[in-house]
Order: sequence, then structure tokens, then C-alpha cells
Amino acid sequence: MSDLLCVHDLTKIFGGVRAVDGASLSVKEGTITALIGPNGSGKTTLFNIVTGYLKADGGVVEFDGRDVTGSHPGKLYRQGLSRTFQQARIFPQLTVLENLVVAGGYGWRQLFTSRVGRKDRERAAALLEEFRLTDISDLLASELSYGQRKLLEFAAVLMSNPRLVLLDEPTAGVNPVLIETMERHIRERNASGITFLIVEHDMTFVMRLCDPVIVLDAGKPIFAGEPAAAQNNPLVLDAYLGS
Amino acid sequence: MRLPTALRGGVFVVLLVTLPMVGLQHWFLNLLVFVLMYATMSSAWNLVGGFAGYPSLGHAGFFGIGAYTIALIFKGHVLTSGYEPFLLLPLVGLVGALIGWPIALVSMRTRADVFAIVTITFLFVVQTLAFNLHGLTGGSQGASLPIAPFPAATFELPFYYVMAALLVLTMGLTFATMRSKVGLSLVSIRADEDKARGVGVRTTGVKVLAFSVSVGITAMVGAVWAYYQSFIYPQFAIDPLVTIAIVLMTFLGGRGTLWGPVLGAVILESGQQLLTYQLGAVQLYLIVYAFLFLVIILLLPRGILPTIEDRLRMRRRRRRTDASAARPGDRTPQNQSDSAPLLGGGAS
Amino acid sequence: MHALIQGVILGILTGGVYALMASGQTLIFGIMKVVNLAQGAMVIMAAYLAYELFTRFGVDPFLAIPLTTVLMFGFGVLVELIFLRPLRRDDKSELSLLVTFAVALLIEGTLSVTWGTTYRSINATYANSSWTLWGYQITVVRIWAFVLSLGALGILFWILNRTRFGRAVRATVQNPESARLLGVEAQWVSALGFGLGAATAAAAGSVYGLLYPFYPGSHYDLISRLLSIVVLGGLGSVGGAVIAAVIVSTSSAIVAATISPAWSEMTFFVILILVLLIRPQGLFGNVDRGAI
Repeated sequence: MSDLLCVHDLTKIFGGVRAVDGASLSVKEGTITALIGPNGSGKTTLFNIVTGYLKADGGVVEFDGRDVTGSHPGKLYRQGLSRTFQQARIFPQLTVLENLVVAGGYGWRQLFTSRVGRKDRERAAALLEEFRLTDISDLLASELSYGQRKLLEFAAVLMSNPRLVLLDEPTAGVNPVLIETMERHIRERNASGITFLIVEHDMTFVMRLCDPVIVLDAGKPIFAGEPAAAQNNPLVLDAYLGS
Repeated sequence: MRLPTALRGGVFVVLLVTLPMVGLQHWFLNLLVFVLMYATMSSAWNLVGGFAGYPSLGHAGFFGIGAYTIALIFKGHVLTSGYEPFLLLPLVGLVGALIGWPIALVSMRTRADVFAIVTITFLFVVQTLAFNLHGLTGGSQGASLPIAPFPAATFELPFYYVMAALLVLTMGLTFATMRSKVGLSLVSIRADEDKARGVGVRTTGVKVLAFSVSVGITAMVGAVWAYYQSFIYPQFAIDPLVTIAIVLMTFLGGRGTLWGPVLGAVILESGQQLLTYQLGAVQLYLIVYAFLFLVIILLLPRGILPTIEDRLRMRRRRRRTDASAARPGDRTPQNQSDSAPLLGGGAS
Repeated sequence: MHALIQGVILGILTGGVYALMASGQTLIFGIMKVVNLAQGAMVIMAAYLAYELFTRFGVDPFLAIPLTTVLMFGFGVLVELIFLRPLRRDDKSELSLLVTFAVALLIEGTLSVTWGTTYRSINATYANSSWTLWGYQITVVRIWAFVLSLGALGILFWILNRTRFGRAVRATVQNPESARLLGVEAQWVSALGFGLGAATAAAAGSVYGLLYPFYPGSHYDLISRLLSIVVLGGLGSVGGAVIAAVIVSTSSAIVAATISPAWSEMTFFVILILVLLIRPQGLFGNVDRGAI
């Protein structure tokens, strides 16, 4: 298994605070890798840098062997690296179907074609079915519940056939039934070849689903390995309980 | 939605065409010309300010550019049929669009704030240039165009029809935009631009396109106005009051809708024309428009049409819930509840 | 060469005044992420206030500053509370901009109705006297304006760096989330911050009235320049605004002295475009990629 994502010596400083401090880690293709750590460990910052939403002060990000440091999120998206947001960012003024169509991408020539054409419906149909969104596909996204938005965001991100999906706290604020649903979707997609990197706080979710687990503390990874081993590792315990 | 809109559009066009035929008074025709003028400009502004969510404060500048362009072209000309200026409108539109293109490229790359800054500065610069470039524009003395050789009895008619045509064109473009992926892209930009960019939407290209079309149309309206007036002064050709009027009209009727700007223009421009005799002073308009704008933003922020649409949708939803409540266990949006967000994730 | 140096001197002196106005504007942006398009109008409003105090009661414009500052501070707080606070979160940024624009026009209209549209100026007795240093002419008013602006900027920096309110402001500018967690009441910071921005306009207004003839429509010219300065300095950076003000004023003055006065009016626009082409975030601004 090769490294799909590689981060070398990444650094980000916010006015004196080293949010990310010379971090190096890698995500192997085909895995569901977790990125965990106590509050303030730099998970979100690292996430934002890797996905192009923040510029690093130093270090390199490599995706599929290519240097993508500082690349714009849109460019990364087209190259197969996509992400979701903690707050489930979807387009509220567009319908569920339209959200998928936008995420699916279209070229210059298609700009002047129908807003949602037959081809778009066909492309989105499978995902709508899979995520049980077909019945509400014409509802405005603003009318969805929080959980439905999370599902929609996840489904939308899959429209572009990504190779690596970064999930930003997929279980935050979501009921247990939906957590199970998300888990199932992640497993299914992983089985069909998508690699996942998940930032999470819910430990049981992480232990069930992810392998390996990377633990971050004070802007640097302090452990990378099996979830069970993480739970017993003294450094990890110290990071969570110590300070 | 398909048939009703086409039907509504057809009725509207028929109305526009036949209205003058009932034999209207000059002052009323004049009023209609101005209503159509503002309806067209508001609809054009709507493409950028309504759909994309980028409030341009400089459209009045392009109005003036159109006015001065046509004045320059016909300087010292002798008109034969009187329709020559109308025939050259597309050229004026192109000039407007060509000037707007680089402005959009420079100002729409970052955020809407910067865009507003550039457009308002642009407005001021255009006005200053109009005052300073005496050779081209006549400076504060103004510029004159040959008076249209139309018979006095039906003088307003050609202008009315040309304006109506421009309005229909603009509404047609708006409709096409809404129905195409251009419209989809614009709405996604307005909804969450960073996310839109993040999923690969070609945001800059779409925005620049919308802006260029929008200002091209505005320039054409300015040209027709200049011809109608026969004499233009820089402070009226490039007037911030025009900007706030079209912004206000679009907001009142409803941004991002097809009919909203037209509705807003009908209400406000007729009101303004009818009250002209009562109020008189321009400064009072400034206060009234600004005040109205603030009131609308605070009390009816979405505008008339979207608010009505929302109410209708709420009623439909309620009916749907009542119907499905009869069948327990069904999954509807209202039945699905989620626990409150736990700590919201915290800072990481 | 002489004209050039004269231009530079003039530019630096004028730059001080613009720095004061621009610092208030960029501060408001830093705190509330709102471009205050009414800043120019508030300066003109203060100029009229100073004018009225001068012509009616003979109060020297510089001495009127404490009074006008307090008045404008209150005005700014009121504007924020009444017009900006009620805006709904989703449309907040695009609407705030239009709201401040409407407030600017409201001010302009009210000033027109109250004082008419003829040009006014505050003709203090010392308005025409000037000093000559090493062959360069410097009007007394400009020197005092510069000194006052420096003083006011000094007070502003003191407020920002030495008081609790200032610290709260800086925290909010840097990181609103954390600031809130630390107990900073964002609401109050917004209102008081806007008031502070208006207060800088007040101080500058008296000076403006002494230096230039003005009428209600003068705010367009002013706001265009201020916006260019703020963009060059970097939206939200007070230090940047000060440096940018000097740069823009000096460039303008140099162009006026060497090329022609008419073209100097375009200078700020050229600078604005150049900044957006080369370095959109300005000298000290942040590149925002929308991570939130």
C-alpha cells in the first residue's frame, strides 16, 4: 500500500502560537485513518492546510506523489482530494439534487446548458438512492435537518469520485442512528477504493472504524498505529490526561 | 413552473406592446419610459447584485459611459430617420461590457467587499473624468446630441418601444441564466462562495461574465436615455442616486428573482415620478431613498416576492405534514430529530 | 526638484490627516468585518459641526474637537445599534456594506437640507498664514493638522494597546471565537468600535474643514481615497492604514506637482488597481481562504 497523502515538517504559527509544529505524517491508500488529539492539538489547522484552506508557514504536502503545497481547494478537489466541514456546509438556497449537481462539477461548455439536465439526474440518481435522499431531492437544502445536511454534504463530496476524503468531525451533533448510517457509508465507500482521513472526538466511533490512528499533540503527531495500541500508549494518555 | 412563466412572459410582452395604443397622455408615456428604464437597469443589476450576491455600487458609472458614448458617436451628426442611435445600441453595449470586463477581473477575485469598494471608486472616477475631460465630454457644460426627429405627437413612442425591448431582452437573459448552469453557479457563489470554489466551481469566470453582461445592458439604457434627453450633464449622467435607486428597487422586489426588480421599479419609479412635483428638491430624494432602503433591509430584507414565496412554501409544508401525520412512522423532514450538537466539537 | 520635495512635504502632512480617518475605518473592518462606507460622510458631518460651532459661537475648530468627538462617538454607537446590529447572520456582510452606504447617503441628504449645497469652509484667522523653511512653504494649518492627527493617532494606539477595551478589540480582530470564549462581549466591542471609528472621523472633520472647502457631496471623493488607503494598508490593519495614507497622499502630491493637479485625483484609483493586481491583501492584510 502506498502513501496517498504525505505531510512533511508542516508548520503553522498564529501570532506566536505554534498550532502545527513540524508535523509529519502519512495516510496509506485504502485505509480509514483517524486523526485525533486533545483540544488545541492542531488537528483542524492541519486539516485546513492539507485541504488548501490555509497556507502553511513551512513544510510540504504531497498527494499521490505530487507536491500540492499551497494548492487551492478547488484544484485539489479536481485532483481527487475533497473534504467535509464540521458544520455541514451545503448550499442552502439550492435543492438537494442541485447540491449534488454542483459538487459533481461541470466544464465551461456545460455552463450554458440546462440547470439540471437529464445527465445530471442520472449521475446523481445512484447517490440519491444510496443515501435515501431521493424522496427529498427537490427540497431546498435549507429545509433539511442537521443530520440530513451532514448526509447530503457527504454524498455531494462523493460526486466527484474522489480518491481521498477528509471528514471533519462527521459525528458532531448527530444522533446515534445517523452515526451508524455514516459508519456504514464510510465502510462501503472504503471497500470500493476511497481512502478516508477522519478528524474525530468520538472515541468509540474511531476505535470501531479506523485503522490506523494518528494522535496529535501540541501540533505534532505523537503516535501512529493500531487503535487498541493507542489506548494503552503512555504518551497518548499523557496528552489527553496530562495537561 | 415551465408553462406559467412562459405564459406570464407572453402576457407581459403583449401588455407592453399594446399599452401605448390606448392613446396615453405624454406625461404618462414619459413616466412609462422611465419605469421601463429603471426596470431594465434593476434587472441587469440583479444579475450581479441579486444572483451572485456582489453588490455593485458603480452601475451608474456605466450608465454614464453609455450616455457619453452615444453622445460622442453622434456629435455634430445630422440624423435622417432618427433610428440610427438605436441601431448602434449593441455597439454601446459592447463598449460597456469591454470596460466592465477588466474591472470585474480585478475586483472580483477576492471578496464582495473589495468589489463594492472598486465599483464605488470607479463611479467617482468616471464622474471626475466626465467633468475633467472637456474635449470629450464637454465637462460641466454638458454634451448634446442631435434631437430625435420624431413627430411631437408621438415623440415618446420609439423610446418606449426600445426601452421595452431592452427590458424584454434583459428579462430573457435573466430567465436563461436562472435555467442554466450559469445561474446554478451564481447561486452557489452567493450561498457559500468559498465552498463553491472548493468544489471546483469556476467562480471568477462566471462572476465576470455576469458583470460584463450586466454593465453592457446598463450602458445601453444610458445611451437611450441620453438620446431621449438630448442634452446630458455629468452630474446626472453619472449619479449615485441612480445606483441607490436600482439597488433599492431590486431589494424591494426581491433579489435573485425574475420579476422582483421589475416590481420594485414599477412601485418606486412611478412613486418618484408622481411625487416629483410635490417634493422637488433632489436632496430630499436622497434622504427618502436611503431611508426607505434602511427600512426595507430591516423589515423586509428578502423583498416582496421571495417573502410571498416563503409564506406559500410554509403553507405547503404544513399541509404536507398534516397529510403524513395521518400515517405514523413515515419519514418526513419534520419527524427526523437530532440531538443538540454536543459541545460543537470545540477548538482543535 | 523643488516642486518634488514640496510635493513630498505636502503629501506627508496631508497623509497624517488621512491616516487618522483611515485608521478608524480599518478598525471598524477589523472588528466587525464591515466596510464602513459612511466614514467619509461622518468626516464631512463633523466638518459641518465644527463649521457651525465656529461660525455661530466662534469656537476654534481644534478646540471643538473634544465636543465633536464625543458627539460623533455617540452617533457611531447609535448607528451600529440601530442599523447594523439587527442584520440577520446569513446576509450580514453584503447587507452591512449597503447599510453603511445608505447611512452615508442619509447623512449627505440631511446635511444638504440643513446647510444647502454651496461650498463651505472654516476660515480661521490663521488659515492663510504659512511658514517658510529652507525655501519650502508650509501652511500653518497643515502643520497643526498634522500634529493633531499624530496626537489623535497616539491616543488611538494608547487605547488599543493599554486599555482593557483596546485589548478586547485586538483580541476580537485576531480571533473572534477565542475572544468570545475569553469573555469578551463581541456585541459591545462592535458598538464601541464603530463609535471609535466615528470619533476618529470627528477629529479629522475639524481639520478637513480648515484645509478644504466642502459640501455634502464631498464624501464621495473622501471615501474613495479612504478605501484605496485601507485596501493598500490591508483591511483591518491600523498600522497599515497609517503607512498607506502617507504613501497615497505623497504619491498624489508628487503627481500634482510634477504632472498635473487633474491627474493627481486619479492617483488613488491607480494605486487601488495596482494593489489588487499585485498583492490583493495589501501591505499587512491577511489572505482569507474561507476556512470557517
